[in-house]
Formats: sequence, C-alpha cells, structure tokens
Amino acid sequence: MAKILIPTPLRQYAGKRDAVELHGATVGEVLHALTSQYSDLRRHLYTDEGKLRSFVNVYVNDDDIRYLSKEATPLKDGDTVSIVPSIAGGSAGIAAPPVALSKDEILRYSRHLIMPEVGMDGQLKLKNAKVALIGTGGLGAPLGMYLAAAGVGRIGLVDFDVVDFTNLQRQVIHGTKDVGRKKLDSAAETMLDINPFIEIDRHETALSSENALQILKDYDLVVDGTDNFPTRYLVNDACVLLGKPNVYGSIFRFEGQATVFAYPGGPCYRCLYPEPPPPGLVPSCAEGGVLGILPGVIGLIQATETVKLILGAGEPLVGRLLLYDALAMRFRELKLRRNPHCPVCGDHPSIHELIDYQEFCGIPNQAHEPVAAAGDIDVVEVKAKIDRGDSFVLIDVREPHEYQICRIDYARLIPLGDLPKRVNELDSAEEIVAHCKSGVRSAKAVDFLKQAGFRKVRNMKGGILAWSDKVDPSVPKY
Amino acid sequence: MIRIEKPAWDTMVSHAEKTFPKECCGVMLGTDGVVRQAVPLANAYTGPQEDFFVMDPQDLYRVDRQAQASGVEVLGVFHSHPNCDAYFSKRDLEHSCPWFSYVVLSVKNGRFDHANSYRPDFDQKEAPKEELIYG
Repeated sequence: MAKILIPTPLRQYAGKRDAVELHGATVGEVLHALTSQYSDLRRHLYTDEGKLRSFVNVYVNDDDIRYLSKEATPLKDGDTVSIVPSIAGGSAGIAAPPVALSKDEILRYSRHLIMPEVGMDGQLKLKNAKVALIGTGGLGAPLGMYLAAAGVGRIGLVDFDVVDFTNLQRQVIHGTKDVGRKKLDSAAETMLDINPFIEIDRHETALSSENALQILKDYDLVVDGTDNFPTRYLVNDACVLLGKPNVYGSIFRFEGQATVFAYPGGPCYRCLYPEPPPPGLVPSCAEGGVLGILPGVIGLIQATETVKLILGAGEPLVGRLLLYDALAMRFRELKLRRNPHCPVCGDHPSIHELIDYQEFCGIPNQAHEPVAAAGDIDVVEVKAKIDRGDSFVLIDVREPHEYQICRIDYARLIPLGDLPKRVNELDSAEEIVAHCKSGVRSAKAVDFLKQAGFRKVRNMKGGILAWSDKVDPSVPKY
Repeated sequence: MIRIEKPAWDTMVSHAEKTFPKECCGVMLGTDGVVRQAVPLANAYTGPQEDFFVMDPQDLYRVDRQAQASGVEVLGVFHSHPNCDAYFSKRDLEHSCPWFSYVVLSVKNGRFDHANSYRPDFDQKEAPKEELIYG
C-alpha cells in the first residue's frame, strides 16, 4: 500500500482529499489506480496518448522518478508518492508581440534581424522602446539620427533652441538650410527622413525642476545630451527619482566622457560629482570650443549604450566612466561606485524631490553673465570714445587664436590668464575698458583689476559679438 | 478571475523589484480565487536569470504541504519580466501548468510597471488572460 499525496489545486478532482492510499507494485500502477478512481484527474496527469504530462513531476519519497525507473519505479509498502507541478518560464520569446514588424520594416532592419543578439525579439524591443533625448545639439545630433535609424520606436526630444551657424560645425542633424529654425523641427525632420517608422514627441521647453518628472516619466530611459551643470544635475536627480537609467556624455575641446548613471545598483552623477564646480571655472563649449567630430564619437557611445540597455545585450557601461582623448587617440576607464552616502541615490537619501539647480550650481537668476561691479559700457559708446580721441585703454582679454579670427584695431591683447603677471603694463590712473567675445571673461578681468586697485575700469557689454552687431558688421562672428 | 489582497501583492512587487534585473518567482496561496499570502521562492535556474526562471520542485512540494496544513491552496504562481511587458511568452507557455493562475509582473528599470494574469491550457498551446484584481 502506497500513499499518494495530492497537490492542493488537484484536490477538487480527488474528492477534496489530500492523500489517497492505493495498492500497486509500481508508480504507474498506483497512478493508474488513482485516475481510475478519480477520472477527472486523468487529463490533469496524462495526455490523450496516455503519457505523463510534461508539467507533472512524480516523486517517490524524496526522489524524482525521472532519475529512478520512471513509471516503472517499484514501490514498497509505506512509500509516499508525491505529485508536484513543474514550473518554469521567462520573458524570452514574445508569444504575442504587442506590435509586429511590417514587411517594409523587416527589409529595413534586415541587418539587425539576422544577428542573433538582436533578431526579431530585439528589433521589437527597440520598436517598443521609449527614449527621452535631452538636447538636439552636438551629442543629440548623432544620437537622434542613429537611434532613429536603429528603429527606437518612440523618441522624445527636449530642446528650445534655434539653429545658428556656429552649430553646423558639429550638429550634423541640422543643415545650412535650417539656420533660424527651431532645432526640434529641424532634428525631427532629419530623423523622420531617415526612418519614417518611428514616432517623435517634441517637447519645446527648457527642462526644469517644474516639468522634468512630468516629461521624463513616460520614457523607459533618458539620454543626456546637455552642456551645462544645472541641467546635468537636474536630469540625474529626475532619473534617480523616477528609476530610469541616464545615459550620460560630455565633451570639451578634444576630450569626452560617457557612462550610464542611475542604473539599478550603479552610481549616479552625484556619486561622481557631489558638488558642482564653482561657476565659470569649467568653460562651456561656447567658451572653450570643441572639436566638431568629438560629439560624434561620444554621442555614438551613448547611442550604443542606449540600444544595449533596450536589448538587454552585453555589458552596460555601468560603474565605469569611459574617458576619450582624441588628440592622444586613447580610451581609458575609471571605476565608479555608488556612494552609499549619496544625497539622492544613497541608502538614506536626503533629496526626495527636484531642487533649484541654478541656485545649486551657484548661478544667479536670469543672467549667465557675472554682475559687473561698476557698470558696463555699451559698444556704441566705446566706438564714440575711439572716434573722439578720448584717452583710454581698450584691452582684449581673449586668447591669441581668437584675436586671429577678429579684432578691434584699437584694442591691446592681454589674455585673461596673463593679466595677473602683465597688470603692471596698465596704468591705474587711466580709464580702462575690457572686452572679450561676449562679455563673460572681460567681466572677470574687470573684477580682477578692481581688486588690484584699479578704479576706472569698465566692461564692454556683449563683447566683440555686440561690436559686430552694432558697430562694425565686417567683424566676423564666431 | 483572481484577486490578490494587498499584503500578498506588496510581497510580490517587492520580491520582483528586489530581484531585478533577474527574474523572480513565487507562489500565491489562498482560497476561492482570493490570494491571501505570497511566498517568494528562489529562482533555481543555473543559467542567466535575466529572462528565465525555474522553481525547485522541492520548494513547491514544501509550500504545498504547508498550504495544506494551514487550510489554504496554491492558487497560482508568479514571476517577473525584467525590462519588458507582462506578456505570456513562448517560454512561459512551453513550461506552463494548467493547474494555476500565472501572474506576470513587468518590472522596468527596477520598478514595478504593470501585471497580467493568465490561465494556460492543458496542451501548453494557449494561455487566455484572466481578470486580475490586486492591492
């Protein structure tokens, strides 16, 4: 006599009993006796062909009969036979895909479809993916074009800027014909021309603490193509709070960085840089310049990581900061760790909502220009002073290579960095006007000179760009 | 239809999020189509667990005996789909068992996104969706 234990879901077919005692020399015999007594159990245990169903495991005491003699396993008096379901599964293999690829899409993505790492499943993952792309500038241009081409189904663009001529050296998503157009429109047009099978959401706004969570919550992941510290901290914090990976990249002159922040268990931007640099210390691309090709390299590293995250393929760039030096043509990697004390992603975070990132980065409201202490001087007035033959010194605090691009003939070149050691060339009794490209660096020069005891120093507002606009249009803008 | 009471549901979501980016699994206990307790189980698959799970039969046996001792039944099983939707996949179907409700939890980027429940047939050919009420 063997005891057969009935699993709870089958009890309703076995007279609500949890165990049945039956005679039989083998497992097959007692199961046959069981299903003869309770005929409703038969189809739960056996196929129409009379074979045990694949999801039925049978144990004799503690042993699986598959490793004994299967249904011929002999039974002794007092043995316990248990029926245990076999349960497994997994996401692989989409049975009923939410969307299918059309014939045209299959042709378009054929080079993806024939790779086992992508295949139909992967291409559908790309099609179902929703990616937010912050900025359609240097990094955003290659990102937008390649993510569109790869078939990322929905891409949300966030930008409020207008295309200008200085963008075209690197922002290849925009063309000469687009100068003056909204970057959103120009970028979306290029992307839809590359791939009309995708959808593009246009968010014409500057990402802010007020709108970031609302905009980003609808996307699976966020790609940061911005160029300033307040927005980087904003994107980072929003991604951590929303639990969405932040594919990060940054560029300056010949060097770039890329990594994936806010991935579960990985570090965030604040783990790497808990505090922003003092305002003005790190020049932006507009101030310091950037090799036009560089954002192509970094943006495409971000695009690669984005596609990998969507596919779940390979090893994501998490916990590793990839550094690229174009001049040396070298890639290096720094290990990053999540900081358990991080105020936003740490074990006991102190930041639970978005903050004022302009203030956090020490940038005064409204103006990006430092406040010039004793007033600015307009370019028209500077021109009048020159024309009148007033006695004053105009110093140009830009770099020599900028001076080569354009200059005001009256001005004397003293680069900002050389000012401390060349300050003795200036006479504190004389009236001094400082200028640079747009007025930021010359304001710093004015502050420096005032601290050095100069009284009559003023900043030429708007720099040589304003000079070109208002005084002499023959002076090229850069 | 399957109804999952809040404490059980919270256990399932928390298990799915904690196991992310791997797949989690577990069983649901209750009576009359109402799940009152969820029991997280270890994923016994020895390969990559990002898109596959296996329940250890010993665990299932043990949980079933405990359920019986406390007067409840194993009503269903649950597992997670990390970074994809809560569909019933080809693999799910190939390994399914018609005795149970199959609740699939979609976890995206570490957070619960949505869930569906399915009732597979005997031949592992189809798994119609059933109404799922939770929380």
